[in-house]
Amino acid sequence: MAGVQVANLSRSFGAHKALDDVSIDFADGGFYALLGPSGSGKTTLLRQIAGFDFPDSGRIAIGGEGVERVPVEKRRIGMVFQNYALFPNMSVADNVGFGLSVRRQAKATIAGEVQRALDLVQLGKLGGRRPHQLSGGQRQRVALARAIVTKPRVLLLDEPLGALDKALRVDMQIELKRIQREIGITTIFVTHDQEEALTMSDRIGILRDGRLVQEGPPEEIYDRPKSEFAATFLGDANIFRGETTGAGIRLPDGTAIAAGAGATLAAGTKASCAVRPERIRIATDSGTPDPNANLLRGQVSKRIFAGSNSTYFVDRDGQTLKVIVQNTGVERLAEGQEVVLRWSPESTVLIAAG
Amino acid sequence: MATTRFLEWCGRLYIWLLLAFLYLPIIIMALMSFNVSPFYQLPFEWTTEWYASLWQNDQLISATWNSIKIAIISTIIATVLGSAASLALYRHEFRGKKVLQALLFPPIAIPWLITGTAMLIFFFGVGIGRGLFAILLGHVALALPYVIVVVSARLQTFAPELEEAARSLGANQWQVTSRVTLPWIMPGVIAGGLFAFAVSFDQFVVSYFLSTPGQTTLPVEIYAAIRKGFTPEINAVSTIIIVVSMALMLLTARFFKFGGEK
Amino acid sequence: MAGQVATGSRSGLRSALPLLLPAYLWLTVAIFLPLSAMVFFSFMTELPLSGKAWSFTLDNYATFFSQGLYWTLLLASLRLGLEVTLWCVVIGYPAAYVLAKVLRGRSREAIFLLVILPFWSNGLVRIFSWAMVLREGGILDTALNAVLPFKINIDLMYSYPAVIIGLVHSYVPYMVLTCYLTLQAIDDSLIEAGRSLGASRLQMLKRVIIPLSMPGLVAGAALIFVPVVGSFMEPRILGGRTGTFYGTVIEDQFVAVFNWPLGAALSFILLAVVLVILALASPVLRRAA
Repeated sequence: MAGVQVANLSRSFGAHKALDDVSIDFADGGFYALLGPSGSGKTTLLRQIAGFDFPDSGRIAIGGEGVERVPVEKRRIGMVFQNYALFPNMSVADNVGFGLSVRRQAKATIAGEVQRALDLVQLGKLGGRRPHQLSGGQRQRVALARAIVTKPRVLLLDEPLGALDKALRVDMQIELKRIQREIGITTIFVTHDQEEALTMSDRIGILRDGRLVQEGPPEEIYDRPKSEFAATFLGDANIFRGETTGAGIRLPDGTAIAAGAGATLAAGTKASCAVRPERIRIATDSGTPDPNANLLRGQVSKRIFAGSNSTYFVDRDGQTLKVIVQNTGVERLAEGQEVVLRWSPESTVLIAAG
Repeated sequence: MATTRFLEWCGRLYIWLLLAFLYLPIIIMALMSFNVSPFYQLPFEWTTEWYASLWQNDQLISATWNSIKIAIISTIIATVLGSAASLALYRHEFRGKKVLQALLFPPIAIPWLITGTAMLIFFFGVGIGRGLFAILLGHVALALPYVIVVVSARLQTFAPELEEAARSLGANQWQVTSRVTLPWIMPGVIAGGLFAFAVSFDQFVVSYFLSTPGQTTLPVEIYAAIRKGFTPEINAVSTIIIVVSMALMLLTARFFKFGGEK
Repeated sequence: MAGQVATGSRSGLRSALPLLLPAYLWLTVAIFLPLSAMVFFSFMTELPLSGKAWSFTLDNYATFFSQGLYWTLLLASLRLGLEVTLWCVVIGYPAAYVLAKVLRGRSREAIFLLVILPFWSNGLVRIFSWAMVLREGGILDTALNAVLPFKINIDLMYSYPAVIIGLVHSYVPYMVLTCYLTLQAIDDSLIEAGRSLGASRLQMLKRVIIPLSMPGLVAGAALIFVPVVGSFMEPRILGGRTGTFYGTVIEDQFVAVFNWPLGAALSFILLAVVLVILALASPVLRRAA
């Protein structure tokens, strides 16, 4: 077991910068998600850590040992591929035992280790099956067992749950997390599914165009996004753009929005504020005025009912704001209704213009 | 939908007529090889004397052995070299790859008359001359493109992540190839090998230009015999050849889908 | 992105070379160098090996262009190629259509295999088998005389039709194969859609099916035309004295007359013709790929 340090890593393919000066510290035993849209460089980064491809510059260390020029087969990593990549010509047990067998371990040792790994992923009785006889979720577990049976220093997962349907994916998320805790292995996984990243990982790294945009625990990134991209890519956000006043921003129409969190900026520069849709309260009248709260007036243009909650789209001064409200059954607003939006400065994050 | 029925019925009938056209001469030849009359006269009287007399024909027997030996050796060489080249073409990207792939087609597309006479000229020029070695050189070259095309077709169905998965589990290049890649492409390699055998065993034109009186193959020997005059012995040996090569292709069909997937 | 990843550390010509080199070296020695040598020899007066003095000359080509015989034979071979190809289209295309669109399941597979099986058996022997059928007193003759009330003499052996029959028999499976591959790739729902729009069978055939299967037709035609133009064994066996074609003259230069430089020049001219034909066919073939 070991931590992974990536420092100033760059890799270009022709004129395209797939990775641009990326540095992340993956602590020992942690569960990391690399999140980003397609083409952001997250898969390239994973393949660099795995050793399928070497960087143009920068360093990769596993357990303190520099490995950036070590080929994949010597790196002692475990990897789970998007489509599992189970060897079709081998049984489940032979698949899981492959890594031990190429290291020329004794047959009896292999059999024991394979059984332990299969038990861990709850497939103890299926060792004799062929991959094509398994369901998607079972294949996923076999791929996981195969990756961890060699006791790798780090476990790399490339969109491991992408090929599963929604219900199975949630089961596997829980299962994956349980197994990771049980063996305590440093785990890095690539996903484009923000919900998956939020629910599973200890820390998240968001990538965009080959650069690391923000890195930290899920709550921190969600509550304190440092860029408009981070705010809108991880979860939903309403963005207001204007000039800083020091304690918030002033919109072009003169409305002031107070921000209780985020960057500290000199007054007068361009900046934006991000507010999560569920933090905004929506009402038909001003109600009890709270002098500290931000307040805006608008008109409901659309309402989408989604069972436990409803999303209101509120038009205001050429901007459409999104508000998510729990369906308590008390109040339903009609489309076209004039409304008042209110939220606290603590829920408002000040972001430097990017 | 009566017209549809009728048209389909006509279609089936047509296919059977085509099959008759394709197989009748072969069947008649086979029958005649069991007929007593050396001038193919009817009525038909059963005999195996022509097959028996084949055993006395030393020239035919030695030519047969040459054919078999050359076919086996060129199959082995063409299959090994061709599969290796297919793997290289599959795994690596480099400039000129398209050219290398295009170079496989001249041996298939240029008439054997041209290739055969060109080989004759060149082998003479560099001192290899004619004979079994020259024939072997030629047969391997003719078979190689077939092997590469068939094995490459099989490799197209191979997922590259499998090789990556094996490497991530610590397998070296040789272990990746022998334990993951080769088992997957094996049907293609076997089909390619059977093709190579058929190309060599049935090859007449190139062998014809490269053989010498003592060093010749069965088809060349048969051609010489036909030009001297027909004998039921030629029927007999021809029947054997056609049965062998058709059996070979039926075997190949087990490993290689000619009609594409559906 | 996957394509970019593949250009990573393990790739490049250098790492591919050890696996590529043996095969391509072999092809060079046994195909490409010989073809180049043939071009070289075609400009010589004598074989350099025979000990006689030799020099460079254009005489071999002059012979071809000045003697009407070679022209006539090349034209005869081209005509033979054209006729055989046409017959293969006429016979093979309907068969491919029936295989691809009428027959289903295992019977389709089995019959398809039966059709292309002879193609992979020994061509020489198959040509020879026709001799048995076509000669006077042969099977066709005997069978027809047994059925017909009057006496006729069927002796197609050693005639132009015999050569055509033998060659069509040899090459028609090729046409069936290439046309079948393109026809079966045509989605059946396309045909149903056309029919639902009111197109008749004939209109569908003319305006949808034949255009879509054109690559198969062209591929088949090229693959038949080219070797037929260069054929020599088939005309020799089935054509007898009428079976003199361009290919048989080339054969003669190498095995009877021993005028190798002229043979090389004739071969090279044939190669040029073949390459032109393949070049003409290649746009259609590339569209298919």
